[in-house]
Amino acid sequence: MYKINKRFTLLFAVIDAMIKPPETVKYPFASLELPEGFRGAIVFDPDKCIGCGLCVRDCPAEALQINKKSREEYTLLHYPARCAYCGQCEDSCRHGAISHSNKLVGSTTNKDEWVIVLKEEKGEK
Amino acid sequence: MIRSLFNLLVFPGFMFLVLSGLIFEWLDRKFLARFQRRVGPPWYQPLADLIKLFSKEDLLPKNANDLLATLLPLISLSSVLTAGLYVPIAGYTPFSFEGDLIVIIFLMSVPTLAYYLAGIISLGIYSILGGGRSLLQFFAYEIPLLIALSGPAILGGSWSVSSIMESQGRLGPFIIFQPLGFILAIVGLIGKLKRDPFDIPKATSEVVGGSLTEFSGAKLGFWNLVMDIQAVVGIFLLIDLYFGWTKMGYPILSIVIFVIECLILILILSGTSAIFARLRIDQLAGLGWRILVPLALLQIGFVILMGV
Amino acid sequence: MDKISIPIGPQHPLLKEPLSMMVDISGEKVLGGSLRLGYVHRGIERLAQQRTYVQNIHLIERICGICSHVHTTTYCYAVEALLGIEIPPRAQYIRALMCELERIHSHLLWLGILAKHIGLDTIFMHTWHDREMVLDIMEEVSGGRVSHAANQIGGVRFDLDAEHDKMIRKILIKLHSQVEGLLDVIETEPAAMARTKGVAPISPDLIKAYGVVGPVARASGVDVDMRRDAPLPPYDQLEVKVITHKDGDAWARTFVRVEETRVSLNLCETIIREMPRGDVVVRTPRRIPAGEVIIRSEAPRGELFYYLRSDGSDKPARLKVRTPTLAALSLLPVQLSEINVADIPVVLAGVDLCIACADR
Repeated sequence: MYKINKRFTLLFAVIDAMIKPPETVKYPFASLELPEGFRGAIVFDPDKCIGCGLCVRDCPAEALQINKKSREEYTLLHYPARCAYCGQCEDSCRHGAISHSNKLVGSTTNKDEWVIVLKEEKGEK
Repeated sequence: MIRSLFNLLVFPGFMFLVLSGLIFEWLDRKFLARFQRRVGPPWYQPLADLIKLFSKEDLLPKNANDLLATLLPLISLSSVLTAGLYVPIAGYTPFSFEGDLIVIIFLMSVPTLAYYLAGIISLGIYSILGGGRSLLQFFAYEIPLLIALSGPAILGGSWSVSSIMESQGRLGPFIIFQPLGFILAIVGLIGKLKRDPFDIPKATSEVVGGSLTEFSGAKLGFWNLVMDIQAVVGIFLLIDLYFGWTKMGYPILSIVIFVIECLILILILSGTSAIFARLRIDQLAGLGWRILVPLALLQIGFVILMGV
Repeated sequence: MDKISIPIGPQHPLLKEPLSMMVDISGEKVLGGSLRLGYVHRGIERLAQQRTYVQNIHLIERICGICSHVHTTTYCYAVEALLGIEIPPRAQYIRALMCELERIHSHLLWLGILAKHIGLDTIFMHTWHDREMVLDIMEEVSGGRVSHAANQIGGVRFDLDAEHDKMIRKILIKLHSQVEGLLDVIETEPAAMARTKGVAPISPDLIKAYGVVGPVARASGVDVDMRRDAPLPPYDQLEVKVITHKDGDAWARTFVRVEETRVSLNLCETIIREMPRGDVVVRTPRRIPAGEVIIRSEAPRGELFYYLRSDGSDKPARLKVRTPTLAALSLLPVQLSEINVADIPVVLAGVDLCIACADR
């Protein structure tokens, strides 16, 4: 903002805004870039998970659930609608099995997407 | 006969005025958006809004007078359309007679009074407050506007807009002789159109929608159309009274110059909307009577002296 | 004209969050008003007793959207005080940086809302655009624009590297010139000054009687700021300039907040320059020893007060939060006594309502 005279600051700001390109984007028709560290949808690596349940204990929104029959037989479920995308599970897991990508989670009317089975370990030896 | 019907319905009558009203609303919103660093609506937005409003449900409070609520926007629409018939557009005026300036000014005041009545009959608290404020505002800006608009009439020697334009063709555009009158006329126009900084009756933060809070559906669509056409007729009138040198010989040239002047005036209106905040009603009344009226009288005195 | 009561209801264009006020007016003069709260009450303090300390960090963050970071910071300092540990200096500086950035974006948001209510839409759009720059910093650094989730018990969850430093410095320089321009506008724009000067002045005695804190108190001349009076580390090593003004009207409140934005910008630059190296987190046990602690800090709206009592398990026994907006709201019916109807938005905006904070 040019400061020739303090009284004209707003006038100059308005003329300046008129000359430069606008700052808003026409969102659905233009793309939106998210930074890398953005906490978006959950990605899971089943090979690293050992079924300890620390993530389940620390989740503030009860979005993770583990059905544990024994040490080798468990199922880990995730509810994306309850999730607060806070990242506590990523911090609590000591093996790096669960983490956040930077993709946005869209809404859906498909009931199968309300519960995601992250890992189903049958314990066959 | 066919020509009169064409003038009444297409140009410069109904269709032309409605189209200009929609284009004015789009340009106003687009300019305002670009001043605020936004993209702004696409060109079909005002038309889409109008169509959407006509397809919505039409509700009013239980004891409100439904007949009056339907008649008031229609009466206002017909008054501004009739006023628009007498305003020359790039020098072309099929209906003109001596004294049509007074008729135009009178017809343009009908929507203000109808706005006030619409607020009173809506029976909502916010509507009554908004209606009262619009009447208070009417007294503050109308007198300077009338005095300022009679300046070109005195200088031009007649009360007919097309004769004023002809005398401008001889003497030159009247803005050179009455710049103060032009500024006062713009300020009065902003007050009449209820735009920032004089949009007290419609102030969203205090009275949620003003007089039109309870209106919806087709009635609200008609009200929006009335506001747009009122703006367009006001702009055309101002251009004719202050910039209107016609009969340049080439009709295409006068049309192009007319369009450019319209754009400049819309830019001025949107710019003042963007820069200033909203005044309080007592501050507006003080401004109107203490500053605007003496300046207007000064301008008129100057014009009378010059005419002599 | 007789008296009518208009509801500034639970839903109104003036309010960001639901609040119910009945204002009695006669003509264009306001006679008085009454207030009802509780529309956003979620029972946070009761919910906090049913969750572990780690889960509570994310619950506390959602008390308010604008001042979320300072809530979690105060809570984490309270838990660390009960544990008797001190977090690494780099973590303290990062927490202070996020607090100051939050103060900047909260004040810019507030200025936009005030401008919108007095009809100056352009300033609304421009200040919210500047606020987007601050939110961009937060998104790059912590992963979320509004819900930062920056703290954990024992430190912070991310670290700043050289690229983040460069980006933050660049944006702070741009923000400086924008805030200078805003200061010019509020000091010279005639309509804005006419709407806010002399409106609803509050005397210092009234402030002390009602216990109001924050920029509202500082605008009436009461010199109170938790960053200087009860400093959490690292504010005890930084010099904080406290802005006061003696008029106490709506213009003074605007002036105080815009000047505080400038002070916060300078503080951010100081913090980045003096940030020590080291870890950002220490390991802490899950069970907190029994005890009780009181921590106070400076939210963008005033003094924030946390009382935490633990009984030795991994869930808190009692958590009590007192937010600054609650005290300012109690002053609102008094402020509404002698103004015009057109001044109601200015008075409401001057209080800087955050009903979610007040209701919890």
